[in-house]
Amino acid sequence: MNLTTFYLAVAGLILAPLVGGLVAGVDRVVTARLQSRVGPPLLQPFYDAGKLWSKVIPPTNQWQGMFVRWALLASLASDVLLAAGADVLMCFFVQAASACFIAVGAFCGASPYSKIGAQRELFQLLCYEPVFLVAILAMCKAAGGFDAFAIMAAKGQPLLFKLPLLIPGLLFVVLVKLRKSPFDISASHHMHQEVVRGVYTDFAGRDFALIEIAHWADVTVVLWICSFLWATGPLQMVVAGLVFLFAALIIDNISARLTWRYMVKVVAPVSLLLATANLLWLYLE
Amino acid sequence: MSEAYIGLLVLWPLAAGLACLVLTSPGARSALVLLTGIALAVGGLAVAANAPFAAPSALLGSETALHIAEGAAFVLPAYFLLRGLMAKHWLVIVFSLGQLALAAYGAVAMPHAALVQNAAVCDGLSLALVLVVCFVGSLIAIFALPYMKHHEEHLHLAVSKQPGFFLIMLAFLGFMNGLALANDIRVFEAFFEATTLCSFLLIGHDKTEIATKNALRALWMNCLGGIFLHAGILLTQQAHGLVDIHEIVNPAVWAGASMLPVALLLLAGCVKAAQMPFQSWLLGAMVAPTPVSALLHSSTMVKVGVFMCLRLAPVLPGTATGVVLATAGAFTFFAASALALGQSNAKKILAYSTVANLGLIIACAGMATPAAIAAGVVLLVIHAATKALLFLCVGDMEQIVGSRDLEDLRGAVAKAPTTALAAAAGALAMILPPLGMLMGKWAAIEAALTNPILLLLMALGSALAVVCWVRFAGTLLAGRSVDKTAHSHILTSGPILSLLFGAIGLGMAAPWINALLLPGASALAGGWGLIPTLFVVGMLGWIVGMKVLSRQSAAKLAGPYIGGLPSAEPGTFVGALGKNWVLSEGNEYAEELFGEPKLTKVAGVLAGALLLALVGGAII
Repeated sequence: MNLTTFYLAVAGLILAPLVGGLVAGVDRVVTARLQSRVGPPLLQPFYDAGKLWSKVIPPTNQWQGMFVRWALLASLASDVLLAAGADVLMCFFVQAASACFIAVGAFCGASPYSKIGAQRELFQLLCYEPVFLVAILAMCKAAGGFDAFAIMAAKGQPLLFKLPLLIPGLLFVVLVKLRKSPFDISASHHMHQEVVRGVYTDFAGRDFALIEIAHWADVTVVLWICSFLWATGPLQMVVAGLVFLFAALIIDNISARLTWRYMVKVVAPVSLLLATANLLWLYLE
Repeated sequence: MSEAYIGLLVLWPLAAGLACLVLTSPGARSALVLLTGIALAVGGLAVAANAPFAAPSALLGSETALHIAEGAAFVLPAYFLLRGLMAKHWLVIVFSLGQLALAAYGAVAMPHAALVQNAAVCDGLSLALVLVVCFVGSLIAIFALPYMKHHEEHLHLAVSKQPGFFLIMLAFLGFMNGLALANDIRVFEAFFEATTLCSFLLIGHDKTEIATKNALRALWMNCLGGIFLHAGILLTQQAHGLVDIHEIVNPAVWAGASMLPVALLLLAGCVKAAQMPFQSWLLGAMVAPTPVSALLHSSTMVKVGVFMCLRLAPVLPGTATGVVLATAGAFTFFAASALALGQSNAKKILAYSTVANLGLIIACAGMATPAAIAAGVVLLVIHAATKALLFLCVGDMEQIVGSRDLEDLRGAVAKAPTTALAAAAGALAMILPPLGMLMGKWAAIEAALTNPILLLLMALGSALAVVCWVRFAGTLLAGRSVDKTAHSHILTSGPILSLLFGAIGLGMAAPWINALLLPGASALAGGWGLIPTLFVVGMLGWIVGMKVLSRQSAAKLAGPYIGGLPSAEPGTFVGALGKNWVLSEGNEYAEELFGEPKLTKVAGVLAGALLLALVGGAII
């Protein structure tokens, strides 16, 4: 590890959650405009997290604080791995670990809504993980290497031209990871719905603020990996990430939530099939 | 010099087991088992210090040893036949007769092959198996001491059956060591059949109706595996005149030759490793006392199967046999992971997960690149420690809670804190980076980049396993209070904690284990180099987590949000219509997707077709 890698890693550690927070701010502004509202200021998510941090609310279970912090560490670690140009597959597994810790924390909770949310979170994991993994493997195969720099430094035409069928799958992953409708199944965004806040129900105060930061870090990783599809330069990558974000926001605003059964039986198989077909044809070239 | 260690590894457990039969007092038995544990640890470390070696060995390759081995090829199937006749189990009868016929054919029609020069060979793979047997196997045998005492108290037996039980347990370990080190394939086969015998006797140990039935099922399947093994050995001898295992696995021998003998040997490995469609014998094995399941699933029996496949892997690169084997293994990884997800019986979850992970190891053997084989060995070692840990934990919780159903184990952390926490840690160790199982899986997936079908199956299997284990850990931890007065026996918690630290320690050591198996490779090359960093992050997480845990444990906890008024009685609330509602919880097992009856049939047919293709492809 040389000094440049170290600086990049530190930059990833600090900037990634900030970018994720900004994405959340953009999300709220755009969604408000789509619904003809003015919406909050761009930095509102940071104010919210600050307010959550100031609240001291007793936890419902002694294990939760531990799992929340582990989730935050795993999310930040996955950002750092990408920033330092490490193995993308490993970054994927570390990021998945974060989701696992949140689910275990929710299982430990006392509220039935938290437990239903945890079950649903796991079924979401079951659906998006294979799609995401196959998509990453297809990118690695097309770019000819597993480390992030090899993919980001791929010269010539963007990976998208070789991997067009990954788009539905990656969009599905983005929707799930951003907890957007129609796949906000485990942590329903609107608290009047039947599972209250699902997997997040039992987290409050500081623990919840940390979960928010972990979520921002996750969002950055997911959009970053999606942007590999057009990695001809930093600006192009940002644009590619924003395209995925705006597509997700529009779908969020025009769709209603699906059931987890529909997701497991229809959405996941179809997007996995498309991604796999694309992976297969890389081998026929 | 090495002969003394081999004697210690192979004969000591047998002798100690026989001594258990004579000295029936519990104190003497405990002393013998503990001494065996120490002897095996010393022997295992001595072999490790001398590895790799190839040496002549009177114990594993003299004329006398060979006579005993050839005798065993008749005696063991004859005993199986006898048990088959006693139970009127026609599959056992047919397959043991088949084994006898092959043994007779070999004795009459085959020219007597010369003795093998270096009868004891220890390379990285053998050493891995020996260390697994010596350390994991011994810890399980030690755990069995308090467990079997409690088990027999529960059954109200007039005469203790423990002397016989520990004879088989300890002898099993000796046979496994012999099998790992033997270089003469005829001696190897004798040990292979001996493990079939041990597992048959151990599964049927409780002599209940279901135990006898499942033991006979294990017997007929493994007799069939024995037929494949023996046929493979005879064909190899016929075609190449070889009995030296390390000469057999030389790819030059098989260039342009029929791969049928190799395919048969691999098939024998797949049966032993309970690959689909032969998974049912291993699932049936869970009726036996927990130490037996732990032994069969982690350090013995099934590891013979993957050991064989990894041993034969060097002849597989570039062959259709290798591709089919890898596909069959990866398919089992996927299908068994799906089956595990639909189970609420904790032991069945563990059993299907074992089948799945063995499939992953066999897929590594089939891919047969040096990196894939090394990943397979890393998985073999770390799976043994982790799965033994999980079985011992479930066994202990079962004795405390009185059920092995995950729904009844909900919140087990309140009743059995040490064990339940160890079980949750073990469950997460199956799936989380940077722990060993995940690193092995990661290395396997990167090695599979040459074959998109393997990638798809591994991606699916991996996601299914994650869901299964997170749910497992979460369900055990779903409790509030921790009973601080609960104390477990030192011989119960000792092995459990040793295995937990072993599993984590092996994960830390994984890059170096991997590098030892790949001559010339640097330990921290590629993604392996991330492990130390990730472990540092993990330790940071540990420190922060423990601090928060102690703070939150001392804090007053909030009540649950239940969308209604909490009622005076705990676990109820006043909800709609002013009615008093009782809360009850349960996991979603999605049986319409992962239900056992349908999925077993479909997956069994597909996996069976793949195994047929393994042999059929070699014939054509």
